[in-house]
Amino acid sequence: MNIEVTIFLLRLLAGLCLAGFLLALFAIIWRNAGAAVYQPAAAGAMHGYLVCEQPALAGDALRCSLRPIVTLGRAEGNTVVIRDDFASANHARIVLEGGKWWLEDRGSRNGTQLNGETILRRTILTGGDEIGIGKYRYRLHLNQEHMTM
Amino acid sequence: MCSTLTRTDVDNPLPLLRVLAGSHGRGNVWLLLMLAGVFVFAGLASIAITRLSGADLWAGFAVWIVCALGAATVLNRRLPSHDPLLLALSMFLSGWGLVAIERLAPAFADRQALWLAISVLAMLGIAIFPQVLRWLRLYRYILLAAALLLLSATIVLGRNPSGFDFAPRLWLGIGAFYFQPSEIMKVILVAFLASYLAEQSATLRARSDAPAPASGLSLRLIGPILLMWLLSMVILVWQRDLGTAMLFFIVFLLLLYLSSGDLRLFLGGALLVLVAGAVAYQLFDVVQLRVDIWLNPWPEADGRAYQIVQSLMAFGAGGIAGTGVGLGSPGYIPVVHSDFVFAAIAEEWGLLGVIAILSSFGVLAWRGLAIALNHRGSAFHRLLAAGLTMTLLVQALMIMAGVLKLLPLTGVTLPFISYGGSSLFACHIMMGLLLRLSSGAR
Repeated sequence: MNIEVTIFLLRLLAGLCLAGFLLALFAIIWRNAGAAVYQPAAAGAMHGYLVCEQPALAGDALRCSLRPIVTLGRAEGNTVVIRDDFASANHARIVLEGGKWWLEDRGSRNGTQLNGETILRRTILTGGDEIGIGKYRYRLHLNQEHMTM
Repeated sequence: MCSTLTRTDVDNPLPLLRVLAGSHGRGNVWLLLMLAGVFVFAGLASIAITRLSGADLWAGFAVWIVCALGAATVLNRRLPSHDPLLLALSMFLSGWGLVAIERLAPAFADRQALWLAISVLAMLGIAIFPQVLRWLRLYRYILLAAALLLLSATIVLGRNPSGFDFAPRLWLGIGAFYFQPSEIMKVILVAFLASYLAEQSATLRARSDAPAPASGLSLRLIGPILLMWLLSMVILVWQRDLGTAMLFFIVFLLLLYLSSGDLRLFLGGALLVLVAGAVAYQLFDVVQLRVDIWLNPWPEADGRAYQIVQSLMAFGAGGIAGTGVGLGSPGYIPVVHSDFVFAAIAEEWGLLGVIAILSSFGVLAWRGLAIALNHRGSAFHRLLAAGLTMTLLVQALMIMAGVLKLLPLTGVTLPFISYGGSSLFACHIMMGLLLRLSSGAR
């Protein structure tokens, strides 16, 4: 076979491989981006509830349905009253904004944990997140069937 | 309605997409490695034909195949939850590097293949060894001291494999075996900074939370910044190694910003870089030369700016599809196989090759930062993943921009591709750590 033809075919092969490699990379990005959109969409549930997992409680204190503003703190009058020395009077709150649930710290002394990390600014919540205040641990449950987004 | 759209995309992608992206969207490592392998084969075959003798050309390819298949098999077996894209990308880039070196400096190709085998072995060792992340943290002072000792040894015992007197003496040599301590210093420095900043993160974050932004900067924060600046300056002054000094300091600033979230620290550090640059411009011929030929290379196109001008010519000659492997003339660029390999790729593989390399580094950065964001371990692990990724990325950007005359030229290697055993070794060590972190291991 002619040398020039061979070289041309090899270049074509190399070019196709490059294109294939890039296509595969973009396919992976596409699927990951799709999955990433899917997760915040799941967070757009309008209804849900908080469950206190730690320490074990009974009755009303165990479960609290989410409403547009849920306040947490030691002071009476909070939606969720936390009887813990490490909780501030007005410790944190969960608000519904733009179809998403946000966790905000209200200048508490000991901070609010989200999945074991102290939050630095208001943070989007997703179903299954764990909110920690003092020694209390709350699990967030969001109802997937009420998705509105 | 939005959610239904994404739901279908995720659950029922196009068949082609599913094949390319793998069953869980994590990448089909065997397909990617096969494409990379055929690409490397086509490049080497073209070289063999244009050179009319392909005698000792295939040893490197054999090494590459063994490394790629071996690494994928071992990682699948011993570290099943790793990110397969990292291995595919690093093997793709190193394979391309082997082709480029075989084309540009055939005398060095066997040496590079040997280093690739050593590096991939080291990468696998690091990725599999369960204690490695704990030890990096526990023995950080010992590691840092050892690395500093090696680095300072180059001031006294340093050599340059090329043997020229004026060339920077950044290597330590034993017989025919040369090693550049500043390369391994990169890894150790990132690990040290990550563990130091992770411990200080309580202080750093408390500060960024403080209501009054005027709260004083303590020595605890400023101290390490000045120390790092000093270290970079020492490297610059003693070794005239502009690139490594810049790289260390930029990565340090990025890590500091990540852990503190304080823009003032970042801007202050950037100001220090500018001050150092201005002073260095006055004091050192090397820096002055680099800046002058960056601003305007054309008056000295035949003299001191020859290299950068030839590099620009190579980009122009390449065009969109390139001249073809072995058909261009990147040989006009002095020492094209190490720092200027990107210009040679632009000439022979064209804009398409350049886009492929940029995309590969882009995807590498994305995966690395995704590891940092998603890791469930400590702040140390997340900072380590971010730091390693940014080291690779900043280094790649620095040399690619330098070769294109977008930035003053700083002599660092293009990760995975440039000729240089120590650089290849250090890049694979970083890859090994990222692979380990990507598996979620503590």
